Amino acid sequence: MSTDDGERLDDTAEELFEDAPCGYLATRIDGTIVRVNRTFESWTGLSRDALLAGIRFQDLLSPGGRIFHETHYAPLLLMQGSVQEVAFDIVGADGSLLPSLVNSVVRTGPSGSAHLIRTTVFDATDRRRYEQELLRSRRREQEIAQELQRSMLAGVLPRAPGLDIEVGYHAAERGLDIGGDWYDAFWLSDDHTAGLVVGDVVGRGIHAAAAMGQLRSAVRALASTGLGPADLLSALDGYAARHGVGWMTTLVYAELNLQSGRLRFACAGHPPPVIAAPGEKPQFAWDGRSLPLAAHMQAGRHRAEATRALTPGTTVLLYTDGLIERRDRPLDAGMTDLLGALADPGPDGEPLTSRLIRTLDGPAPDDDVCLLAARLGGSG
Amino acid sequence: MKVRDRNNVVEHGPPDARPIVFAHGFGCDQNMWRYVWPEFAGDHRVVLFDHVGAGRSDSRAFDPQRYSSLGGYADDVLEICRSLELTDVVFVGHSVSAMIGVLAAGAEPDRFGGLVLVGPSPRYVDDDGYVGGFTRADIDGLLDAMDSNYLGWSSTMAPVIMGNPDRPELGRELTNSFCQADPEIARHFARVTFLSDNRADLARVITPSLILQCAQDAIAPEVVGDYVHRRLANSQLQRLHATGHCPNLSAPEETVTAIRAFLASEH
Repeated sequence: MSTDDGERLDDTAEELFEDAPCGYLATRIDGTIVRVNRTFESWTGLSRDALLAGIRFQDLLSPGGRIFHETHYAPLLLMQGSVQEVAFDIVGADGSLLPSLVNSVVRTGPSGSAHLIRTTVFDATDRRRYEQELLRSRRREQEIAQELQRSMLAGVLPRAPGLDIEVGYHAAERGLDIGGDWYDAFWLSDDHTAGLVVGDVVGRGIHAAAAMGQLRSAVRALASTGLGPADLLSALDGYAARHGVGWMTTLVYAELNLQSGRLRFACAGHPPPVIAAPGEKPQFAWDGRSLPLAAHMQAGRHRAEATRALTPGTTVLLYTDGLIERRDRPLDAGMTDLLGALADPGPDGEPLTSRLIRTLDGPAPDDDVCLLAARLGGSG
Repeated sequence: MKVRDRNNVVEHGPPDARPIVFAHGFGCDQNMWRYVWPEFAGDHRVVLFDHVGAGRSDSRAFDPQRYSSLGGYADDVLEICRSLELTDVVFVGHSVSAMIGVLAAGAEPDRFGGLVLVGPSPRYVDDDGYVGGFTRADIDGLLDAMDSNYLGWSSTMAPVIMGNPDRPELGRELTNSFCQADPEIARHFARVTFLSDNRADLARVITPSLILQCAQDAIAPEVVGDYVHRRLANSQLQRLHATGHCPNLSAPEETVTAIRAFLASEH
């Protein structure tokens, strides 16, 4: 076979092997190189004689790669007979690194036992550079989001003789992306009513952190105008819709008047607050509920709110769903466990929020958990 | 969470026979013992398990605090032994699990009748006259290599593997699945493994021990095997003809024969 101008098209098998666009090696099971092609010679700058003088394939890797070879590559090859797409840096004669993708298959002899490994090495310089850029930018985004979250949850909580506020945050173990859970507590303009918030923005990462920051500021600003819980949520709906932020966020907003003990709250698609009065069983507050943020935009509809008269010593607990929802426990069991944990006084000195996270959440939660407990001072 | 589920404990052989516990090292899972354990299932109670974060263990049990040193992994081994009510245990640990066995036997000497340490190293990084074989920069290079190799693991496949513990075939269909691990946990385990220093723990062990030393082992060189032998009071050192770091896979017959001879000499 030949082209129109007479060039030969029928590469011999030998030529295909020697000048293939990939490095080609055969090694013994222990990695000792027994055959190698011209492409690999030229890529490494090592002559065939040098490569066949008892060198093992893993000897050509960087030290870190050599550990990876011994702990992952070699065992996999012996267990499954082939390994695909493993990234190694091959060290050339002049010390330069060739980023490569390596595939191997084991050739078995007539008895079925492994006796030879065939390996191809592909130049992956550009691909590796691109992957490293992706990894770098991903890490950077995670760092920014974490910093953003830290700065927003680090504010000073209201302190007063009649009020104890505790907060807790337990980040999910899986993945580095932060969630959009937040808590907040601040004084309203009358100076004896505390505004309390726990919310959960949909999604994770830098967008969730930024949305959380916007909503947190919006709640504070709206609360200072004296709207009250239901109207505040309605105004927040408008804010979310106008600015395209926080769609389907759930939150609970409460106002606790320290002089009267009156609690007003409104819950937008969020798990119900728990009210634990001294000497009584803790209870979920199932009233004052409406839909999540911006899911509630029909004209003329108002957000619901509810009121409780709290006795001194009563604790109000606001939390995100991570506290009660776990893959290995149905939601209603999680809610029962929460009431049980609140009823149990627990060891002396352990803050309530830490105890709840410890007993309900386990060491490695699937989801972030954010909670805020406000206790009205006085007896009890 | 039950210990059995947490560590994917698998048992073979007669339940009233002498227990032999196989522990895999950094990198892969209990499949590392696939050519070895069947040779003991006739006359031993064989116990296999995966460290938390490896194989089919429950990664939700991973707690960076608990596993910030090899002691956390040794606690898991002891919890497995307690929950199965194992006594006179033969513990066979490969690579980093050799030292995990040393820690477990140091903590509860009465529970262990014998230790088999396959390619042990109490300290991987060179240190003031001590030769471990690696520098700190080499270990960073390993972490880079791991970053470039999420074996069988991507965010799209992870939920399939994690969400269906009752359907192991889903995991097996993936390439490289014997060495798949949650990348974050694997990085953590790599750091704990290769930056730990457990030299002082060797002196706490009195359990009869067998050290199996391969030729040309890049992870645990011969000089390290010799060191372990000198510091471990009641130990024998056996050099294998096998090369590399995984004689349990590359030379299972030689490995089994050596373990059998050790057990016969001790009983």
